[in-house]
Amino acid sequence: MPDGMFHFTALFLYALALTLWIRGLLTGARGRGQAVAPWIAVAAVLSHLSALTLFALEYRQLPLVGLGPALSSLALVLGLGLVATLSLREATRIGIVVVPLILVLQTVALVTGVDPTREPLDFQGIWFALHVTFAFLGYQGLALAFAAGLLYLVQFHELKSKRLGRVFRFIPPLATLDGLGRVSLWIGFGGLSIAIVLGWAWTLRYRGTFQVADPKTLWAVVSWTAVVVALLARRGGDRPGRTGALAAVLGFGVVVLFFLVLRLMAVENGLFL
Amino acid sequence: MSLAVIGVSHHTAPVEIRERFAFAASEVGHVLACLRSEGDVREAVLLSTCNRTEIYLFPVAEPVNLSAPERILLGKAGLRGSEASSHLFRIRGHPVVRHLFEVTSGLDSMVTGEAEIQGQVKEAYETASGVALEPPIVGPVLNRLFQTALSVGGRVRHETGIGEGSASVASVAVELARKIFGTLRGKRVLILGAGATGELTVEALAREGVRGVIVANRTYDRAVQLSGRLDGRAVRFDQLEDALRESDIVVSSTAAPHVMLTREMVRSAFPDGPRRPLLIVDIALPRDVEPSVGDEPNVFLYNVDDLRKIVDEHVGVRRAAVPHARRIVNAGTEDFRSWYASLEVVPVIRTLREQAEVVRAEETSKLLRKLAHLPEEDRARVEEFTRSLLGKLLHDPTSLLRRSVDEETGGHLVEEVRSLYGLPGSEDRREDSSTRTGEGGDGE
Repeated sequence: MPDGMFHFTALFLYALALTLWIRGLLTGARGRGQAVAPWIAVAAVLSHLSALTLFALEYRQLPLVGLGPALSSLALVLGLGLVATLSLREATRIGIVVVPLILVLQTVALVTGVDPTREPLDFQGIWFALHVTFAFLGYQGLALAFAAGLLYLVQFHELKSKRLGRVFRFIPPLATLDGLGRVSLWIGFGGLSIAIVLGWAWTLRYRGTFQVADPKTLWAVVSWTAVVVALLARRGGDRPGRTGALAAVLGFGVVVLFFLVLRLMAVENGLFL
Repeated sequence: MSLAVIGVSHHTAPVEIRERFAFAASEVGHVLACLRSEGDVREAVLLSTCNRTEIYLFPVAEPVNLSAPERILLGKAGLRGSEASSHLFRIRGHPVVRHLFEVTSGLDSMVTGEAEIQGQVKEAYETASGVALEPPIVGPVLNRLFQTALSVGGRVRHETGIGEGSASVASVAVELARKIFGTLRGKRVLILGAGATGELTVEALAREGVRGVIVANRTYDRAVQLSGRLDGRAVRFDQLEDALRESDIVVSSTAAPHVMLTREMVRSAFPDGPRRPLLIVDIALPRDVEPSVGDEPNVFLYNVDDLRKIVDEHVGVRRAAVPHARRIVNAGTEDFRSWYASLEVVPVIRTLREQAEVVRAEETSKLLRKLAHLPEEDRARVEEFTRSLLGKLLHDPTSLLRRSVDEETGGHLVEEVRSLYGLPGSEDRREDSSTRTGEGGDGE
């Protein structure tokens, strides 16, 4: 695995950034670590990107097929999403929720092995790459909305219960989290919608069927529904911010649970699902 | 140490006296120039904030004469006599360093750990540094003193909880608003009543960029008056619900003996509940806002007890941080003392070596004239031997002098060495050393 050093460096840097954010939570965002943590996350993402670029160059294959490469790519997309919040200053502190997700994905990827698939694939090519990339973008949106929503709910609780302690000081403002959650859900909606359309178009063209019962299709539809429900929840109710945050958290939970169930039931091995 | 500070602070004078001593930024240059021309002042910095006016001085010669700065301060305040003078405090020598470091760290502030003072000290230092006087009114000693003070202040704020949380009702309200709305730019504030604390809170919010202030008061004329001061608009009390719909933040501070804002009124203003957050800060006693208003969705209601409790918690955290902060101040004070002492020691060591070298060179030259028959190689050996002998003889005394920099008694030892070897006096030497320090090094 020529890319191994970069993978492990990325893992270490993600863990370091998370440690600093946890420290910030415990100290009420005091200390220089809080200014450094986002930049360590940037370094982690760069290292991660280097690892997957090396993979692609070495094996002449995009790291999108097979459990290890696909999970690692999904983790990278989440990392890129986190880096994108840098412009929103305090919003990068959603890293305290996003980075553990990245760490789990990346660890599972490394344990199962970020190796090229040996299966004869009939679905290589640009359409497949676009399908997976948009799907990952969709899951990134849902994951970021989950992180923003979770922190929104905690901050809302702190404000309502008038506990303005360290947790209150660490978590970004409600408006920032609300805005981030909204944009993330729209990204999730766009990404998953395009991914589903591309996937169906591709299967129809090359296999002559929609393959509705395929676990991947089922998961994509459940994820898309979760995003749509979360978006609709933001429009209704007397507390759109809080309801939207709650819907994003629950939606993400359902999507992860559904993935695990499908994984346990999956017959085929080695692919993403 | 010949540093001194003279001034007034919240410890020595009430606000009505302190405000008479306040200098505008535009006056600083003139004051410092006067100090230079009237007093024996080599370096000076004037710090003027709402809680203190202090002049830091490094004189041309000891002892420090504070009559000129005192005259300038009392002249500014328009006060005369011993009673006026009793409002001034005077500190000389080492305690000046600790005082400035405690001021910069917020340990000497009215509200422990307040953040503004660090910026005010920096501004005072930079303003004085920019005054066009020759030689500059901020020289090597005050440069070092203020830079160390700012560094100590920064460390105290970073490493301790001295500045943790807001420590006034107004600043807690601002902190709450920021954590709800992110930026306050473009937000609207409704102020109920014309209480002083309410006005202060709205002013604090206005500094954060709120767009519009709406004032509602039982007496419309008072509302118009206050809205004029806050650059807002007045509304009659019967228009309260409309004003509520427009607002993001409500600050209530009426003197009414009954509730002014009920849950029914909020429900009537927002039949489906406010779809965006509404922060209500009720700082009136008795309370203006019905407590159940806080149960409405998206409404964050804080009364004066809630705010006071938060302030007390923050003040408690700040107090707990004081011992740690003092340790940092002590370390900074000790560093500065060592540096300052080195200003005296280094020139003494250099002069001692120069004088000894003159004697060595003369005596060696005499000896070599008598030993003219020696070959060149042996003459060089003699020369080398005397140099080595001198180096070894001076090694212990100079090491002792260098070490004395870190001890309280260092100054005495320097004086003893001076008198023992007949070296020039302290004033000549410090001037020489200070000039050199300003040119590049820090005394070493």
